[in-house]
Amino acid sequence: MSASGPRRRAIIAALPVAAGLAACTSSPKRIPQPATLGFFTEHQAAVVEAATARIAPGPKDDPAEAGHPGAREAGVTGYIDTMLGALDDQNIFAGGPWSNRHTSGPDLMARFIPLDPVARIAWRNRIIAWQEQYTKGISQLDKLAGGDFTKKPPAQQDKILATKSVSEFTSLLFEHTIEGLYSSPEYGGNKNLVGWKEIGFPGDVQPRGYSADEVERSDGHDPVGTGNAGTGNAGTGNTGVVADVLKLLGAL
Amino acid sequence: MTKAIVIGSGAGGSFAAMELAKAGWQVTIFEKGPNHFTNLGGQGPFGTVFANDSLAMLQRYFAEPDPEVFPRTWRPNPSAPAQTGSVDELPQVVGGGTVHWDAKVPRFWDIDFQQHSALGPYPGADVADWPFSYHDLAPYYDEVERLIGVQGDTTTFPDLVRKHAPRNGQYPMPPGPQMRSSTAIAHGATAVGLHPFPFPMAANSVSGYNGQHACNNCGFCSSFGCPVVARPSALVPLRQALRTGRVDLKPETMVTKIELKGNKATGVSWVTMTDAGPNTGTETADVIVMAASAIETVRLALLSDFPDRSGKLGRRLMLHAFIDGSAIFLDERMHAHRGRSVTQCAEDAADPDYPGARAFAKQHGLPYIRGGLMELGGSQDPIAEAQSYQTLLNFVRASRPFGTEFKQLMRASILRDRLAGCSLIGHDLPYLNHTVTLDPQVRDIFGVPVARITWSAGQHEQVAQQFWIPRLKAMMTKAGAGVALAVPATFNSGGLPTGNHVMGGMMMGTDPATSVTDAHGRVHGLDNVYAADGSVFVTSGAHNPTNTIMAVALRNMRHLSAMTAFP
Repeated sequence: MSASGPRRRAIIAALPVAAGLAACTSSPKRIPQPATLGFFTEHQAAVVEAATARIAPGPKDDPAEAGHPGAREAGVTGYIDTMLGALDDQNIFAGGPWSNRHTSGPDLMARFIPLDPVARIAWRNRIIAWQEQYTKGISQLDKLAGGDFTKKPPAQQDKILATKSVSEFTSLLFEHTIEGLYSSPEYGGNKNLVGWKEIGFPGDVQPRGYSADEVERSDGHDPVGTGNAGTGNAGTGNTGVVADVLKLLGAL
Repeated sequence: MTKAIVIGSGAGGSFAAMELAKAGWQVTIFEKGPNHFTNLGGQGPFGTVFANDSLAMLQRYFAEPDPEVFPRTWRPNPSAPAQTGSVDELPQVVGGGTVHWDAKVPRFWDIDFQQHSALGPYPGADVADWPFSYHDLAPYYDEVERLIGVQGDTTTFPDLVRKHAPRNGQYPMPPGPQMRSSTAIAHGATAVGLHPFPFPMAANSVSGYNGQHACNNCGFCSSFGCPVVARPSALVPLRQALRTGRVDLKPETMVTKIELKGNKATGVSWVTMTDAGPNTGTETADVIVMAASAIETVRLALLSDFPDRSGKLGRRLMLHAFIDGSAIFLDERMHAHRGRSVTQCAEDAADPDYPGARAFAKQHGLPYIRGGLMELGGSQDPIAEAQSYQTLLNFVRASRPFGTEFKQLMRASILRDRLAGCSLIGHDLPYLNHTVTLDPQVRDIFGVPVARITWSAGQHEQVAQQFWIPRLKAMMTKAGAGVALAVPATFNSGGLPTGNHVMGGMMMGTDPATSVTDAHGRVHGLDNVYAADGSVFVTSGAHNPTNTIMAVALRNMRHLSAMTAFP
């Protein structure tokens, strides 16, 4: 079972996983460093930045993502570095009850909640295990790249990330990329809410909430693009990834 | 003064503490988890640090037991190896499961309480009657609904609900705004002959009830703590208990054993963690009430070497065999993140006499099948959505299961913004081989053996799922879904139960030879030990169980509070 545990309404969270090799497009980019690092060395941060930008590319990483911020723009590397360096800071649980993001007033989520003694043990164990996985995983990526993952062109980086021997690390990177894109910005990712804005998700809206009309109304006709979705292209039939996923789900 | 120890501060423990404290008893509540509320014992509104924070609640165990320190194990059957991790956990905090529930409060049906007499025996299962009827419990349901504050409209109830869960009077508050995702699915439900109606919910639809705010539809109910505490739930009786001045609430303290001397409990042993290591102690009491939720209550009973004349202690674990339905709308974004985590339900599938159900059961050699209540129109948060695509991309893009195509999926949002989920709560029969036992190897952070759950969907549950899955799909298709899928929830989890509905293990009954607790939850063979949570359930119903846990705890603890002497 997964480390986070399945959820009541997690749809398709734990189907058996297949893996394989890859080929792809696009051009290499320079890697900006996070301002200060909590755990990673500068090189490790650069590898994580390059790898997570392949998992969730932005405009600098893939021409198809023009206008669509990705892991780099969301500050995913900083999110992961903060988490791995949280042993003493206890930056694990944001506060509450709200951020006032959609209202005025102080961001109460920015005051992190001190861990109780049991949670402190749990998180120390978990973070130490992740630190080891990252240290080992990053050096594996470098090794597969013949020395420095960041020096490889994107297509080669994609191939490396899809290599079976690093599939567990790629999977961990993917999970943390997701968290860095779509968690509350207090945790260090989702900078300027680019993760949420990109997918039309308003995030936390307390203490404003939603009006009865916002709850009840139809937002109107909005057909899904089954190909290059979200960019206005209707797609090219069953070659689009959305169409392929719908086909798979429809067959279940 | 009589002194009670109550173990757990959730749906059952809060009502136990309230009843006993109001009767003049001294009460100590041991809660294993932390307290995330302020001013609980004071007058006026109270505060919380719970926020609309998916990372903390769904990924980081802010409210649930962290499996790094409090794991459980699970196996589908006794010959399979057990896996270790987070197994169908409820929150471990002050307020228990009611801090994260979506507060849906349908009542169990009359036939649930008299399942053996009403529907007959079931091959392979231990179906029995409760020691009281629906009509006996109905006044306690009424009282719970008034106390915690429920929104709903009895005039919208279909005949089936009026027949099986008759009631007097209206809910204290009217239903709130109906989510677009829910009304869309309800339209499909009606079109296929089902009878949807506004889902009764224990959240304020008007401001001021219990002195709390009205719900403002923020969308984060299921799995989240309410930032505006419009859903105070078990905290209402807990506050009433604390305000008597006779209740001592001890958070972050785990009871490890109930100390027995002959047929009497003398007190408990407890442990708490400090930065210097575990700190242990004991506390004495006249009466012990266990309300740690079914699995943990059974674990504690086993750790304490309870007598077990019936052989049923820890058996008959019932977890509900959910079906996860997903209606994907290709032409509209359903915005299920706005509103009260599902606002419509239908109870037709709980009916063993639903057209075709008896014949289908007979074809499979079974006396009857029951599905359960359908929750119409939920969705999931972006992190869970992205995790779904992470998995699915391994199938459709094995050579590069990430990149721009992942982001295309997020923008199209077929599994969040275009999703209207339909969960069917599958009635789960009581089987003697669905058990909670102590794991022989795995221990928690304090060195105490953890609960090992043995459970998988039984024959009744599998056949009921086969019957209801195509009907769920037809409903979603009629509602306008471009893709409608429905699978047993265990399909998504590799068999692991995940429904958060936990019942059984300490079944009530009148005969010590066939039940674990008596008609008021007192453990047979022990004079002064009670269970007041879902563990005492005799059957699982086909509905969200929490308000039934509350009503049963209220009934049983009121009986206990009237007792003045213990042998």
